[in-house]
Amino acid sequence: MTTKRNKQTTLFIGPQHPGITGNMMVKLLVEGDTVVKAETHIGYLHRAFEKLIEQRNWLQSFTLLCRFCVPEPDPMELTYARAVEAIEGREVPPRAKYIRTIVAELARIQSFLLWYGGQAGSAGLYTLGQWTVGDRNYILDLFEDLTGARIYHMYIWPGGVRRDLPKGWADKTRRVLDYLEKRLDDYNRLLFDNAVFQKRAQGVGIIPKDKALEWGVTGPPLKGVGIGNDVRKTEPYCAYGELDFDIPVYEGGDVWARALVRRDEIKQSIRIIRQALDKMPGGNYYNRIPNPMKWRLPAGEAWVKTESVRGEIGFYVVSDGTEKPRRVHLRGAAYTHGISVLEKILPGQNIADVSFILNSLGACPPEMER
Amino acid sequence: MSETKDIRIITRPTKEQIRQAQIDFSPRCTAAGRVNDKETQKMVQYILNFARKHSLFLLAYGTGCGAIEIPATLTSRYDAERLGIRGAATPRQADVLMITGYLSTKTLKRVIRVYEQMQDPKYVVAFGSCTINGGMYFDSYNTIKALDRYIPVDVYIAGCMPRPEAVLKGFAKLQELIQNGNAGNGECYRKNLDWYRANQQKVIKNWDFPDEYNW
Amino acid sequence: MMTTRDIIDALTRTFDLNADVLRDNQIRLKLHKKQVAPVLLYLKNQLGFIHLDHVSCVDWLEENVFELVYIVYRPQDRLTVLVKTKIDRQHPEMENMETFWPHMRTYQRELREMFGIDFPGFEAPKEFILEGWDEMPPMRRDFDTRAYVQRTYTTRPGREDAWSVREYITRRTGEKLPDFVKKYSRD
Repeated sequence: MTTKRNKQTTLFIGPQHPGITGNMMVKLLVEGDTVVKAETHIGYLHRAFEKLIEQRNWLQSFTLLCRFCVPEPDPMELTYARAVEAIEGREVPPRAKYIRTIVAELARIQSFLLWYGGQAGSAGLYTLGQWTVGDRNYILDLFEDLTGARIYHMYIWPGGVRRDLPKGWADKTRRVLDYLEKRLDDYNRLLFDNAVFQKRAQGVGIIPKDKALEWGVTGPPLKGVGIGNDVRKTEPYCAYGELDFDIPVYEGGDVWARALVRRDEIKQSIRIIRQALDKMPGGNYYNRIPNPMKWRLPAGEAWVKTESVRGEIGFYVVSDGTEKPRRVHLRGAAYTHGISVLEKILPGQNIADVSFILNSLGACPPEMER
Repeated sequence: MSETKDIRIITRPTKEQIRQAQIDFSPRCTAAGRVNDKETQKMVQYILNFARKHSLFLLAYGTGCGAIEIPATLTSRYDAERLGIRGAATPRQADVLMITGYLSTKTLKRVIRVYEQMQDPKYVVAFGSCTINGGMYFDSYNTIKALDRYIPVDVYIAGCMPRPEAVLKGFAKLQELIQNGNAGNGECYRKNLDWYRANQQKVIKNWDFPDEYNW
Repeated sequence: MMTTRDIIDALTRTFDLNADVLRDNQIRLKLHKKQVAPVLLYLKNQLGFIHLDHVSCVDWLEENVFELVYIVYRPQDRLTVLVKTKIDRQHPEMENMETFWPHMRTYQRELREMFGIDFPGFEAPKEFILEGWDEMPPMRRDFDTRAYVQRTYTTRPGREDAWSVREYITRRTGEKLPDFVKKYSRD
């Protein structure tokens, strides 16, 4: 008996589409309701950052760097600052390390809250987005107190951070964390106890466990297949080596497992920030750098990795001994997740699940094309 | 039982009656001679503008990084929906095209296409310094520097990136313009299409648009 | 558990190469162009460096070479190897390694578009990030982005005056400001 083959149709999702996670396009070949072949098209957000950074000096590049990934700019600054410090051999005072840890974790929480909205919204549950994105403003308020801006902070500099903690900021942060911890139960009841989300997330978008490392999967998708690799644990940077936290690991590799990982990671982030606030050492927050317009770095190179919300991000920085970087190249987590991994796991899925899977992989177009 | 005789029996209107009613209530059909006196026209226009300014449907197209503040503006704290601002999924249902930040030439092509698909009256709100004069991307080979050379813009919101308060202020300004009848420039775009097309073709290298504006 | 020493020993036993330790847990290999593919395969299949972290390219215009960097990672004991090679800048050509890792294809597409490096036998679509680009590959050092911008885009003329915005607003509205505020004003 031969099965009748349906007609294959090409379907474009994006760049203008409410379900897409940014300005990108996924070109699908569909047969009926099922995806046969997927192809990611990027380049809609290409601003030539890596070219522009070659025209700026070492400190001026920070204004460009934080715009590499819009939902979560701080890990970019942190990684680049660490790369510059590694080339120069500059020490960071312990207080700055703790402040950096807190900023990185706050950025992680606010990005996860935004993810809650996107993931639930792509399943048709719009209430959760109203809650989490609304509550995200409390964290942005903390950033505003600390750095003066809501989204792009340019707060982490080579040699430390730009300003000390303002008076009363630690107490305010603790209050926000207490509030968020209470609210987390509400979010999770709304998302994880929802039959719609359970039915749609389980068994969808599976990344095979034996292939995950070879495919370049990192971050929550990797923890969702049962491999607990996290740069914060494996190669501790900032103050992570001195703090106590766990890496959530779930088996399955589907959207559901990735969602569970993210749910637990927020709790761990809250735990890290509380510890860092308690253990915060005194002293200087900043090792002074020379006049930035004439600041030359010794010739050399550095490869530095950081754990961001979407996975590992790394900077390959080359200095040729002048005031300007020779090359700054970002390895974004979404670079693999959004292109090669997505193209591998989409075939066989339903059209309706495409934006659902995109959200759970954390595809972030500005990071892919810079 | 005496009230029953006051109830009028509503019959289905004839085609002629429907046509007459359309002429009566539409401000465009002044040629038919019913509402061409200035006072009535002004009043109808006022009501139309009032209705338009309180139902702004934003096209869900995050063209740049300013799109990160749109969820914050639309959700519970800033709650733009109280001003009648909410999202729309497709260009043909939307009133407002938001250009949230820099436009690379690849996106500009899609944006023009989206803009031409939108129905009149349509408004364009441009976010961020980079749409005004290039901003921090003044020497980037892939982003355009002044948006109003390529599509007409109603309101610019300065800042990198504009806060939700600034976004709301920008929309309040747009509502003011709509109420005064100064916003909405699809007409201007169609009239000066040659100038816009020449500018667009200068930066979009693989030009494959249809010759006529026929969306 | 393997240390950097073990990796370097294993590599020098099999290949003729020079290796040094860049930073803790990071090994740097400088290879000839022909050695890259066998060394990467050896690292992946024999030594367990199964995670390709990054592929980058640095343009050394003065020396007339492109330097390619392949960064691979071994998750068990957190070792990183940077495999570096130099290729001619006039006729940049590198071996096509898209079958080694699935995301190598993405990196090669980017390198081909941004630096103009040719990979013989690599059949991915030509356009990746740019669209309709007809100039020199833009990430090369001799591509002058400012000249290109002036040639292509129209810019808005800037303001003639150099007033600070704060002061401009005060003058327009007739607001009275105390002196200590004026001190921080630009002019």
